Amino acid sequence: MIMILLTIVFIVMRVLPGNPVLLRFEKNADPALIASYTHALGLDKPIYMQYFDYLWGLLHGDLGLSMAGEFEPVGPEIMSRFPATLELTVYAFIVAVIVGVLLGALGARKPGVPDKSVKVFGILIYAFPVFFLGMIFQLIFGIWLHILPVSGRLDPGAIPTYLSIDGHSLQTGIYTIDSLLSGNLPEFVDAVRHLILPATALGLVISGIFIRMTRANMMETMRADFVTAARARGLKERTVVYSYALRNALLPIVTIMGLQFSLLLSGAILTETEFSILGVASYLVDRINFRDYTAVQGTVVFIALLISSVSLIVDILYAYLDPRVRI
Amino acid sequence: MTTIQRTHAKPQSLMAKLVAPIFGKGYGRGLMLVGIGLTLFISVMSILAPFIAPHDPTKIGLGPSNSPPSATFPMGTDQYGRDMLSRIIWGGRFILLVAVTAVAICLVIGLPIGLVSAYVGGHVDRTVALLMDSIYAFPSLVLAIMIISVFGVSIINEALAIAVVYIPSYFRVVRSQVLSIKEMPYVDAAKSAGAGTPSVLLRYIWPNVTASVVVVATVNFADSILTTAGLDFIGLGLNVTLPDWGIDLTYGRMVLPLGIWWTIAFSGGMILLSALGFSLISEGYAERVNPKLR
Repeated sequence: MIMILLTIVFIVMRVLPGNPVLLRFEKNADPALIASYTHALGLDKPIYMQYFDYLWGLLHGDLGLSMAGEFEPVGPEIMSRFPATLELTVYAFIVAVIVGVLLGALGARKPGVPDKSVKVFGILIYAFPVFFLGMIFQLIFGIWLHILPVSGRLDPGAIPTYLSIDGHSLQTGIYTIDSLLSGNLPEFVDAVRHLILPATALGLVISGIFIRMTRANMMETMRADFVTAARARGLKERTVVYSYALRNALLPIVTIMGLQFSLLLSGAILTETEFSILGVASYLVDRINFRDYTAVQGTVVFIALLISSVSLIVDILYAYLDPRVRI
Repeated sequence: MTTIQRTHAKPQSLMAKLVAPIFGKGYGRGLMLVGIGLTLFISVMSILAPFIAPHDPTKIGLGPSNSPPSATFPMGTDQYGRDMLSRIIWGGRFILLVAVTAVAICLVIGLPIGLVSAYVGGHVDRTVALLMDSIYAFPSLVLAIMIISVFGVSIINEALAIAVVYIPSYFRVVRSQVLSIKEMPYVDAAKSAGAGTPSVLLRYIWPNVTASVVVVATVNFADSILTTAGLDFIGLGLNVTLPDWGIDLTYGRMVLPLGIWWTIAFSGGMILLSALGFSLISEGYAERVNPKLR
């Protein structure tokens, strides 16, 4: 699957018509300049050689050179921006799971008005463009009420601190973790304040699917024999719902988590742009606007690898949670 | 005798399949009616835009710059003094056109591949399914961005990019249905009665797949609208001077820090409503045809 993804990326970016170098320059650019760019990027080699170069580079963690400026390597730039994306997606995911599971369980447990409201909320939130929700949050909490910052990851001028003992330093780039490790509480609060709006906007939009999944699974689980048995034994309804039914209803949700992650990344592109967070996704958007074709390819490859690793982790996690799938 | 029966039965069954589920009483009716109402309203507004818009949506300096909603400009004006109401009325044309084209491409390509692949089975099916699953696992917006950044921005390229992203959804749904339907006794009966492959596929299997295709296609409509707006937002939209909800929303963002809410509220609201309309239809229809969701 990883190979297929990587090959698709290669085919779309290289084999299909369209010369990346020509896309970058104006129509009347100097042919010598174009030739030098083509050579520097290895685009003058035969296509199968390019394919092997591309795979060989990937094995060494080389995502190619940026076409902008001095051919800077794309890999290190992505790695320096990845923590911001990871931080945003993880917090958004937590918001999505909490909102989705709680509302979904509520809907399944209380038919009638609560269930209907949950359903309508789920449909409505799914139809929200994530950046529009972000703008509404910015307008209300940032511009009208002045209680939360609307862009960036820290206050302007703040320099992120990180753990450093005897000259050895540990820098994850995830500010909420770095600041805690180094004991810088004000910075932690600052980082969290900056995360609230983007993570809530992204998390809420994704939560629509969790609501739907939890609700459907819960309704099915509540009809299962073991739930009836638990009730017959006189357990409290709350115990039956939350420690018996919900746990089993959550299993199928884990299986779709890999796909959720890819949805989260799509949303992160828009959220990072909206909240001026310098992450991988906003790097992609930034490079598109500069027509930096190789950087776009590098980022897309990085995302492909990320998706593949996440789906692998999800598979392992599922086997751990549900003994039935172990062979 | 048989031919006469068939010609009578066909239109009736089609009507029963499409119209009765919508207007007949039962589960999901409310959701579907609201969804269809919203969708119809937005489509009619967009189609009739040249006749109902009070002003030219591209005329600069029609009113004062950034003026809030008032009697003369019910939705205010944007930073160039253009009438927002007229821009909103005109603004759905491109986004909806892209969505319609994308769904059409998906239907034309995704359905036959799913039908044939599942019916033929074997290595062909496994290869196609693996390819489709790979595309499906990829973040849709990233794939769309990649395609558009290679081919350039145009209505057809946007539609193509969205279609490529969503064809696997159609493929998966159609394939999984066909895989189970083709094992049914009545299909075997048709085959043993001498029905050829095209006939089995179209007359015996296809009618049982349509219900899920309606659900996928309406969700696809909603997603296409959201993806197109997303592309506009990151600078891969059509011409910036066009009246378009996605573009207005993107540029309204620039003046948001000044507290100017009307440029984003109405354009974003329209995107939301059109995506919502299709989602409601999809949800209502799914509830009607799938008892598990009730």
